[in-house]
Amino acid sequence: MEFHIHQLRAWAPTLDTDEAWQAWAHHPTHLPDNNEQPSCDFLPPMQRRRLSRLARMTMHVAWPLCGEQEQLPFVFASRHGETPRTFALLSEVADQQPLSPTQFGLSVHNAIAGQWSILRGQHGESVAIAGEADTFEHAMVEAAALLSDGAPAVLVVIAEERPPAAYDGWIDDVPFSYAVALRVGGIEAHAGRGWQLRLESHQGTSTPAAWPHALDFVRALHAGDDTLEHPWKTRRWIWQRIP
Amino acid sequence: MTVLQEDIAQLIIDTLNLEDVTVADIPPDLPLFGEGLGLDSVDALELALALQKRYDIRIASDSKDARQHFTTVATLAAFVQAQQGA
Repeated sequence: MEFHIHQLRAWAPTLDTDEAWQAWAHHPTHLPDNNEQPSCDFLPPMQRRRLSRLARMTMHVAWPLCGEQEQLPFVFASRHGETPRTFALLSEVADQQPLSPTQFGLSVHNAIAGQWSILRGQHGESVAIAGEADTFEHAMVEAAALLSDGAPAVLVVIAEERPPAAYDGWIDDVPFSYAVALRVGGIEAHAGRGWQLRLESHQGTSTPAAWPHALDFVRALHAGDDTLEHPWKTRRWIWQRIP
Repeated sequence: MTVLQEDIAQLIIDTLNLEDVTVADIPPDLPLFGEGLGLDSVDALELALALQKRYDIRIASDSKDARQHFTTVATLAAFVQAQQGA
């Protein structure tokens, strides 16, 4: 699979500019997550009222990557989804309280893709996936499939939210909340800034990547790395910059 | 605006997460749904749940009058008062 990265935009608590990401890429650190969220004030309040934190993060990074009049296939990828919402709903079930219709209605994995479609008037394909630690690469496989199906470009968002404390010991790969949007196309029409993604089989145990794969990719882009390896279970994903 | 009306307006803002909207923006006779404040059917369900919890009242989901009770803050306040008195 080969991709041209047209544009990339990422958000994490206190990291919202290219300069900030550049600095983080050279000294990646664990960021404190104090439930900060993008304001999304490009939307009127009535349209913002049902956007959760993860949805706001997604809208914030994806919004400028799609033109006003443009229709783009959309891939939403999140390994864990909206754990705060899930936990709140389960707590209400445990307390035998009636469930909030809004929360219940939005508690599906493709809810954010649906909100994107409504808010941006997108009528095309959208995909919502959850994988393992290599959810990012699986999202790129989806993008490759959409590109080979004829899409000129695909918008991919990988978003994870720091889970409630109850998930400690279960979820250990979300050091802080983050969202990464990539607008990708095929490699032919463009020169430079291309990446090849290969999958090889992987045996034995190896230490997982230090950072979530999508963040590691952002780091590599900013740091100028040419190759990245993301081993996970039987899979070894190899990212290689195409000169 | 009565205390109950103000209370209901604030409940609407808090329950439906209406950022940047204040009680003063929801006068008692402003239509809540469609034209007016712009709420929709999911908001109606959410609001019904919040009203039941807050005022310890019951709202029958098959009530033909529900639509009328939910027209404005004023009609909601009258409904809550009637239910509490019942």
